[in-house]
Amino acid sequence: MKVAKSPALRVTGLRHAYGRHIVLDGVDLEIPEGEVHALLGENGAGKSTLIKIVSGALRPSAGKVEVHGRGLAGVAGARGAGVVTVHQNLGLVDDLDAMENMYLGRPYPRRGLFTDRAAARRHTADALAALAPSTPLDVPVRLLSPVQRTAIALARALEQEPAVLILDEPTASLTAHETEVLFGVVRELRERGTAIIYVTHRMAEVFELCDRVVVLRDRRVVARVRPAETDPDALVALMTATEAGQAPPRPPRPAGEVVLGVDGLTGHRVGPISFEVARGQVVGVAGLGGSGRSELLRLIGGVQRSRAGQVRCGGRAVRPGSTRAALTAGIALVGEDRQRHSIVASGSVRENLSLGSLTALSGGAGLMRRRRELALYEEMTTLLQIRAAGPEQPIGELSGGNQQKVVLGRVLATRPQVLLLDEPTAGVDVAAKQAIRSLIGDLAARGAGVVVVSSDLGELLSLADRILVLVDGRLAADLDPREADEYTVLRRCYGGSA
Amino acid sequence: MTTDAGARPALRRLSGAPLGLLALIALFTILRPTVFPDPGNLSNLLEHIAVLAIVACAQTVVMAVADFDLSVGATASFSGVIAAQLLIAGWPTIAAVAAAIATGVVIGLVNGWLVAYLNLSAFVATLATMTALAGGSLLLTDGSTIFGLPGDFLLLGQGRPLGVPAVVLIAITVGAVIWFLLSRTAQGRRWHAVGGNAEAAAYAGIDVGRTRLLAFVVSGAGAALAGLLLASRLASAHPTAGDPLMLTSIAAVFIGLTAAQAARPGVVGTLLGVVVLGVLDNGLNLLDVNPYVQQILTGLIIVVSVGLSRRRGRRS
Repeated sequence: MKVAKSPALRVTGLRHAYGRHIVLDGVDLEIPEGEVHALLGENGAGKSTLIKIVSGALRPSAGKVEVHGRGLAGVAGARGAGVVTVHQNLGLVDDLDAMENMYLGRPYPRRGLFTDRAAARRHTADALAALAPSTPLDVPVRLLSPVQRTAIALARALEQEPAVLILDEPTASLTAHETEVLFGVVRELRERGTAIIYVTHRMAEVFELCDRVVVLRDRRVVARVRPAETDPDALVALMTATEAGQAPPRPPRPAGEVVLGVDGLTGHRVGPISFEVARGQVVGVAGLGGSGRSELLRLIGGVQRSRAGQVRCGGRAVRPGSTRAALTAGIALVGEDRQRHSIVASGSVRENLSLGSLTALSGGAGLMRRRRELALYEEMTTLLQIRAAGPEQPIGELSGGNQQKVVLGRVLATRPQVLLLDEPTAGVDVAAKQAIRSLIGDLAARGAGVVVVSSDLGELLSLADRILVLVDGRLAADLDPREADEYTVLRRCYGGSA
Repeated sequence: MTTDAGARPALRRLSGAPLGLLALIALFTILRPTVFPDPGNLSNLLEHIAVLAIVACAQTVVMAVADFDLSVGATASFSGVIAAQLLIAGWPTIAAVAAAIATGVVIGLVNGWLVAYLNLSAFVATLATMTALAGGSLLLTDGSTIFGLPGDFLLLGQGRPLGVPAVVLIAITVGAVIWFLLSRTAQGRRWHAVGGNAEAAAYAGIDVGRTRLLAFVVSGAGAALAGLLLASRLASAHPTAGDPLMLTSIAAVFIGLTAAQAARPGVVGTLLGVVVLGVLDNGLNLLDVNPYVQQILTGLIIVVSVGLSRRRGRRS
């Protein structure tokens, strides 16, 4: 039927690498007019990169993107060709009101020499009427509800009459009813011939709304199927890497006394969550992006203040909302984003290593003891096999893996009883990954309790004694890695039942 | 950038403040060969920049935590006025000096509290205290200059123990103490870490709020000390005497940044910046350049030096 016509969107031979790290490798994709394609994939499968390239924000290393047969170049090119993206963060300017956001980057209607704000306001009200009719127009959008904000971002996208519309987890902060309203809009667009890429973590939406499901895994499209021809479990199986020669499950470690107790811990979008970690135990935490994995660690580690609940370390309650209190109690946290949460780029390797234990490394008057610092440098470079030119080398000159080892060394210098590691092997080379994993095993063997968040489910399965699955901020499952595989873990992450 | 410092050509390492300073010295020596290099002139130059050096070193601490303090000039003026009024009222010199410095500490606490705990931007907070302090100084003096300060107070700024101006000795001491704090103590590490990446510092267990607060306390105390010395040197307290120190202290830190390898504020670089500004001022005076033109030239120097440090920052 649509054979003769060029599809609304055609992606061919797309390849992209950040440095030597390949994120997309030969992706082909075709979306005809008037179809909604769901884009599924584990964290790190390459979804975000694909979206960035299609929306023109990122130039691919190789391959091309065509809209109705015309090639694209850059954001302006993508806009001109009718590719419009509603990002997960919506891209609104918080301090402007609905109308000002609607007209961001577009000319206002004019009357003579002047902008006609009254007309712009009427137009905004009309555009929002179908989506979120009671949206106040005269307040900064920061004060509006999630659904109203989503409506503004969506209305703005629709104004541009998109040929290809990319919706990146649009329902992440919407209720069931609000989601239905959004679906109505999507269906109407489909009738009008818009091609839609719909990125979601919610399996039910795929089956309710989409014409096709595209599954990304290991940098490629591994499946492009009709929902009617598949089911949620089969999709999860497609997303799961089933590499041959996966590490065999480890024998169980003897668990000691409880070292970390988390009791009804509640944060902004997490909890209440309760669990315990024993000495010598590695607890893995799995969950999709936005499931609250990182926030859970930040609450325990004192970076964020909890709203309710308690953290105990070695039987004693830890004062919430203070990393210092947590460290003093024996809980150390390595954050998810190395550049943002860990590295002081203007400092040397030595300064970055010392940062967590300045008090111990200085004498009575707060005077830094150079000899102690150098001893720490020697100890950690040997223990973690950090490759650095010397203690004074700027940290930014090290590879990602070695930077991560420096951060781990910083944390180990505080002699923690509980180690919280958020994506400890993200963005490091294979050798460093292996070194970090064996270090985690060693620490547990020496009696520490370790909590690891990782998107690499294979890593979690080979590393952990227990895997906690978080869904929408709640503890959804507590799995034994010896009885689970990547498929079961991911299925639970998508809210599947046992 | 992965090359180490030793691999850079010597000229590149000398770029920025050191090179500019050498160029200025050469220029003025050639143009006024008898007057500029004269020991008397150089001693005069040092005495002249000592007060700025103290404020700039204090400002360096605040800028090391990636904030800045616009109120240092107003604090210096206010501190001079407070000391003068107390001395006139018959307080002993020691007590008046201590009270003025304590005032500076309190101002620093207020600035630090506004910035670190109420989350006001450093710009808004210190602009507000600057404005309020300027009003306070004018109120306490009725807008006029206070004369008749006792002789032992004047020794602070005008005394010459062993032939060296006391202000220069005090400035050297302050510079040494702040250098020591920044580069040899745990507190210095905290300042630099918070300035480099406040979020990473928090993850590493550093109390970011306290660290920023303490930096403002140092700048408040330093500015107050500078204000005292200024009043003593001038043998009078004027309600706006210290005001120009704000811009020049920030300029000195920026010029100093062009000299540092790690592109973070440091006392050595800042003092170099102070000397650059001092030599420029002194040399242009000797050449009878219109003081208004001097101001324009100072502005140009700041733009050029900051531009240089930006370019280098991008390369690395």
